Amino acid sequence: MQSALTGFIQLLRSHELRVSPAETLDAMAVASTLGYADRERLRDGLALSLAKSAREEAILLRCFDQYFGRELAGEKPSAATPAASEAAPAPDQDSEDARQLQDGAAEFPELAEALQSPLLQQLLEDNRTELSLSLGQAAAATGLGNIRMFTQKGQYTRRMLDALGEETLRRAVVALEQADSPLLELLKGYRDHLRQQVREYVEREYLLNAQGHNRQFMDDILRRTRLNQLEQRYMDEVRELVRKMARKLAARHSRKPKVQKRGQLDMGRTLRRGIAHDGIMFHTYWRKVRRDKPQILALCDVSGSVAAYAKFLLLFLYSLQDVLPRVRSFAFSSHLGEISDLFREHPVEKAIELANWRYGGATDYGRSLEDFAELALADVSSSTTVIVLGDARNNGGDPKLEIMQGIYQRARRVIWLNPESRRAWGSGDSEMLRYQSACHFAAECNNLQQLERIIDQLLRLNH
Amino acid sequence: MHIQDFPQLESIERIEQGFEALGYICSTKIATAVFLAFQLRKPVLVEGPPGVGKTELAKTCAELLSVPLIRLQCYEGLDEAKALYEWKYGKQLLYTQVLKEKLGDLLHGAKGLAESVERLHQFGDIFYSEDFLEPRPLLKAMQQERGAILLIDEVDKSDYEFESLLLEILSDYQVSIPEIGTVKASVSPMVFLTSNNSRDISDALKRRCLHLYIPFPSVELEERIVLSRVPDIDATLRHQLVAFVHSLRDLDLKKAPAISETLDWARSLLLLHAEQLDEALVRSTLNVLLKFEDDINSAESGLVELLRGADSAA
Repeated sequence: MQSALTGFIQLLRSHELRVSPAETLDAMAVASTLGYADRERLRDGLALSLAKSAREEAILLRCFDQYFGRELAGEKPSAATPAASEAAPAPDQDSEDARQLQDGAAEFPELAEALQSPLLQQLLEDNRTELSLSLGQAAAATGLGNIRMFTQKGQYTRRMLDALGEETLRRAVVALEQADSPLLELLKGYRDHLRQQVREYVEREYLLNAQGHNRQFMDDILRRTRLNQLEQRYMDEVRELVRKMARKLAARHSRKPKVQKRGQLDMGRTLRRGIAHDGIMFHTYWRKVRRDKPQILALCDVSGSVAAYAKFLLLFLYSLQDVLPRVRSFAFSSHLGEISDLFREHPVEKAIELANWRYGGATDYGRSLEDFAELALADVSSSTTVIVLGDARNNGGDPKLEIMQGIYQRARRVIWLNPESRRAWGSGDSEMLRYQSACHFAAECNNLQQLERIIDQLLRLNH
Repeated sequence: MHIQDFPQLESIERIEQGFEALGYICSTKIATAVFLAFQLRKPVLVEGPPGVGKTELAKTCAELLSVPLIRLQCYEGLDEAKALYEWKYGKQLLYTQVLKEKLGDLLHGAKGLAESVERLHQFGDIFYSEDFLEPRPLLKAMQQERGAILLIDEVDKSDYEFESLLLEILSDYQVSIPEIGTVKASVSPMVFLTSNNSRDISDALKRRCLHLYIPFPSVELEERIVLSRVPDIDATLRHQLVAFVHSLRDLDLKKAPAISETLDWARSLLLLHAEQLDEALVRSTLNVLLKFEDDINSAESGLVELLRGADSAA
């Protein structure tokens, strides 16, 4: 039963529950404390020890039903039934079939051979327990647990059948077919029943193992695809992915703003200082607690040239503002405006649409920077990080580099994320190389993975 | 060593019965959590909406085992000086004064600096010792001889730094004091942490705990709770009011009424000598259940239907 538990944990992992080895041990301790007899109780216990949030608990409970539903059906009664070798002909309803086949065995040596095999015996006796046990063994022998793609289903079904020793059955069917025996239909029925069983087993196994992996696989691909090439129908997945990323980053980095506080009395220092006053502790010294107040100002280009990216960047900003305090968002193309309130008041799609509508148009970086200086330059301080998301294509207008430099001098960090590849920077009307001189850090950013890494780095440097 | 062997915690059924006798009606899952926490010596992180009895669980446990309940209320800015221990600075300062006066006697007849220093070393150093240690809740829980229930309330309100501080205590039931060494609990306390999910608790902390999520109770369970807490209330009214609260929870409310609100409402209705729910009565007492003006308005607009639903459910 312990292997069943590790199998279950494997399954949880493939469904994105992080289960550490220590937790596996915990789960085993839980299981041995509660016992396996009471399913409900075991279910509760495992949920208590392995799930770390209500969401994870729901996943776990579903997996539990899926997994142990199958596991127990396969294992529970196995101890009670006699071994397969004592294959006495079954007495009840199927005995009639068995007798007919036995009669035919004299005529067909293949059929006699098939009747010798435990497989057909199990089928004839309708011994589900033995059969599912054999299925389990065959699954272990063929490595069915490794199934990942639905295209592998046929292949694994074949292998399972071979491992079960279906070959003798197959031969017997062929022999009967050639002789056009009346027993053919009977035997075929049993063979089809077996195939059905195996197919269902493989299907279940596929659902158990592949689902989780497929999602991970999908997520990986989505992360690496260039943002402007993502198809509309994946938007939901991407949105979920972005939200997850933002949550993860925020959980790692968010700190609530704090004023400087008086900490504990520093006894050692107080005493040492006291020596100068003949041992009288004249001054007390306190360990200070310093806290950072990271602030992020994000400027996002929403003009036509970067429209496909802007959607994701805005989405990311939205999520980030949701989870991090002190994030202010601005959108610009021909002019610039603050969209923090927009983000706060509206759901994500609506907010992005509104931002695009209000501030979309031909790009004018100079004008937008002027707007920004007017709106928020006073708030840029040594604890501020300014992020600019845009392609720096200014349609040949005045880039107003001096404003950018002003921001650069005041801010703690200025970061420019450009969806264009580095080679294209500075070509044509791109002002990227000039703006870059007024950035602490400029990077190419056109897929979610890059975005995540950069933001992670940025937040780490922030305090 | 374990928190002393308590026959009250021997099996899940006994826990359920024990809790029930104390007026805390709980689901099997909660009892399982307490059982496992006891058997495996693991802290329990209790999550759930406010008012479903998270804190009450710890209190009832303490009552059941008749051990002291030590409670640490978390808030932003809580630090080790308030949670773990602090030095008694005043006494420490006095001690140095005393020491100074004794210095003459101590060093009397010592020749040269080397000998003086040596004598000084021989002199017991109690400046940093348990005598000057002021235990705060966490350390206090470690020091209880019969074991204790330690309730770390609303751990999500504390800072991340504080969480790391808890890790050592929760996994090994010990506290490291740099100046003294490690203080290990002679009898490890049973620990409950509660969280309202105002922020995500770190994985490191979650990993060390059993995770118990208490949702709003089922109708049947809630009726049992009302029965045990407000036994005088009429059975029909009880059915009605629980069904009504349940239908309120299905509405999109800022703050759905929890068990504590149901109980408050039941008590209010009892005081008003109500025999069954009617529109006027509900309207006038709705503020017991709902704490936001918006919520009250949206409930009032659908009141007639809600009541009809509650009637038919009862």
